Amino acid sequence: MLIIIGQSLISGILMGGIYALVSIGLTLIFGVMNVVNFAHGEFLMIAMYLTFWVFHYLQIDPYVSLLIVAPALFLIGVVTQRYLIQHLIQAEHYTQIFATVGLSTIMANAALFFWKADYRMVKTPYMSSTLTFSDLVVSYPRLISFLVAIGITVLLFLFLKHTYLGRAIRATAQDNTGAKLMGVNINRVYIFTFGLGSACVGVAGALLMPIYYAFPTVGLHFVLTAFVVVVLGGMGNITGALFGGLVIGVVEAFSGFFISPELKEAVYFVIFVLVLLVKPSGLFGLTKG
Amino acid sequence: MLEVKKVNLAYGQMQVLKEVSLQVREREIVSLIGANSAGKSSMLNAISGLVPISGGEILFEGKRIDSLPSHEIIENGIIQVPEGRRIFPFMTVKENLEMGSYNRRAREKSRESLQRVYELFPHLAERKDQLGESMSGGEQQMLAVGRGLMAGPKILMLDEPSLGLAPIVVEMIFHVLQEVNRREVTILLVEQNVKESLDISSRGYVLENGRVVLEGAGKDLLGNSYLKKAYLGL
Amino acid sequence: MRFLKGSYFLGFLILLALLVALVQNAFVLHLLIMVFTSAALGLAWNIIGGYGGQLSLGHAAFYGIGAYTSTLLFLHLGVTPWLGMIAGGLLAVIASLVLGIPCFRLRGTYFTLATIAFAEVLRILVVYFKEFTGGSIGIVLKFNAGFLNLMFKNREPFAYVALGFMALTYYLSVWIENSRLGYYLTALKENEDGARALGINTYRCKLIALMISAFLTALIGSFFAQYLTFIEPESEFSLGLSIALTLSVMIGGIGTALGPIIGAFIITPLQELLRVYISGEYQGLQNIIYGIVLVVVVICIPQGVYKWVTETIFRKRTA
Repeated sequence: MLIIIGQSLISGILMGGIYALVSIGLTLIFGVMNVVNFAHGEFLMIAMYLTFWVFHYLQIDPYVSLLIVAPALFLIGVVTQRYLIQHLIQAEHYTQIFATVGLSTIMANAALFFWKADYRMVKTPYMSSTLTFSDLVVSYPRLISFLVAIGITVLLFLFLKHTYLGRAIRATAQDNTGAKLMGVNINRVYIFTFGLGSACVGVAGALLMPIYYAFPTVGLHFVLTAFVVVVLGGMGNITGALFGGLVIGVVEAFSGFFISPELKEAVYFVIFVLVLLVKPSGLFGLTKG
Repeated sequence: MLEVKKVNLAYGQMQVLKEVSLQVREREIVSLIGANSAGKSSMLNAISGLVPISGGEILFEGKRIDSLPSHEIIENGIIQVPEGRRIFPFMTVKENLEMGSYNRRAREKSRESLQRVYELFPHLAERKDQLGESMSGGEQQMLAVGRGLMAGPKILMLDEPSLGLAPIVVEMIFHVLQEVNRREVTILLVEQNVKESLDISSRGYVLENGRVVLEGAGKDLLGNSYLKKAYLGL
Repeated sequence: MRFLKGSYFLGFLILLALLVALVQNAFVLHLLIMVFTSAALGLAWNIIGGYGGQLSLGHAAFYGIGAYTSTLLFLHLGVTPWLGMIAGGLLAVIASLVLGIPCFRLRGTYFTLATIAFAEVLRILVVYFKEFTGGSIGIVLKFNAGFLNLMFKNREPFAYVALGFMALTYYLSVWIENSRLGYYLTALKENEDGARALGINTYRCKLIALMISAFLTALIGSFFAQYLTFIEPESEFSLGLSIALTLSVMIGGIGTALGPIIGAFIITPLQELLRVYISGEYQGLQNIIYGIVLVVVVICIPQGVYKWVTETIFRKRTA
């Protein structure tokens, strides 16, 4: 029994690392620009497909191709921000929601149109390798993905804490006007932040390919999970998103095992609503850790 | 150094500044006095490039700055310490100050500036790892002024620094301003606290409903009968 | 002005009814049914989303409840869908309370996210309890024509019923607009705290609006289940449907009674025509097009076509 719990825990944490990375991108964007990007999941989807094509045509392993995918997503993010999101920052709530929902529809269906509905998988040689620690079995690719996700998160923290640009981003999130008065070029910060958030999602997509599969609407599942994590961790709180991701990963694994695999999503949605009601600022409270 | 020529500013239909002209010469301390909605903050925000003006010109060292984006105005050395301080709540004192020297001009001298600010405000040095939001009003104001100094200002504009502060703290801050002015920083002080600000100013302007109604040397204004009645209750 | 609109609209309805009577082409009738239903759904959503300003992206939940309740009652207990839809409506009202009572404490985007979660949970539950609901495979209704079964050989009767729903939701919307509830909703939409300060029980207003909206949405869900004779969780409870419900409103004009109708007349024919002429190979293309339409409309004409046109005319008159 203990072994089963341990197994679920590990499985949950490993997946949670990736949920965290996806959510960090979302919360970063929300914290700085106050825009809820419903199309965030589609950015993940594009990253996954990109990783797939790079593997398919260039035989580059996903863990290496993330060096291509992340910058590519960064660029896509920058372009999206410059031409779409920029107009939404001052707009009414419903404009933001529907515009990004519209974007999400366009992207998911474009994927469907161009690449069809088939599931795409990346078959790496180490796909089914496992490591065994006493009685616990750990999937090798999941472990690698988790470690890379954590690594990227740490890098992000360091960037935000110790570089001038990183601090400018935090400042903008905490007080927009104050940041302007420090000489921060807010528009550039917005563009960079959106690009950065998209790059995070790009990395997550590359990390997902060895352990999951790509299809046009894969974004939907992950974006809903990401919203749960973001609310759990506190909108704009990156540390919160990290821990929130791990928590949701574990909750999902446990509910999948102890309740039913079909109901695991329902469980964390219920938790989601509970958190929204009890502590909408998230378990870890307010902005920008 | 700073010249505001017949500036008009409107928020929608509301005319907030009407043909306002003022000058700040190098090394001066100039006060801009007025009641609550007189338009003082708007004046500073216009100079800082946060709001666009609808008429007139703003010149700094001879060049027009009124259509420049805010970050470029800051690069020119025009630094504002805003109303309500606007410090970064989730950054430490040290981080707030370092953020002050974000602009390129100030970045290289960041370490020196930090030392100087700690000298001027020993209180801040003691609390350098404390989070902004946990500080009192007076401490936050010190932090805001210190942060403004970190930006290497040629002219430092302060928007109501004395608001909501105890008299001792106000005195201390104004003392620091004088000290800083001695060290070559020009100051434009926007205040409701008429006496304290005019005491340290070489010149002053009085703004009422968006118009300049009085101007003159600091001491002369303090002696002005209209001013005394309207703003000092005498 | 309102009375004028009233009688003009009645005339418009009569015209549409005549159109239904005269048209023989099955496809055109189908188109009309789709337009009327889309308008009715939009109007129902508009009560809470437009008048109340609470953006729900989970209305598929109520739609699905309506569809499944009447279908299951019909299938297992032989209950006529005319009554089944009322049952569905009432269940939807209860569901709306389950959603609204806790979640109306939330503002803005947080509320929207909660509605999405709500519909998703329902969808997952419906799939899970497959012995009862048929699971992901869905339920197919055997065609058995008859008024009581709400199944007809021709499309005409369906079209009349759909027109009836559109008229019902329109008049209800107009009534709400001019009622005290309507004024309170406008106030709380502008400034909820301000409205509270004036003594308005904003919480209750939102709940009432949601209940009405849920009831109407469920009715139409039931009706449409009878029209299509097929229901499945993916179609009835999906986020895609929740979004689609709002399309006519966003395009036509949020917060107005004519808006969703105009929006439905604009977007639905486009949708159906695209579906017919672009299918199979070009799967997904029609959705790309409405995605683009949605984005463009929401950014360029956020107030919707109706207000845009009336404002432009008004401006030209005063210029």
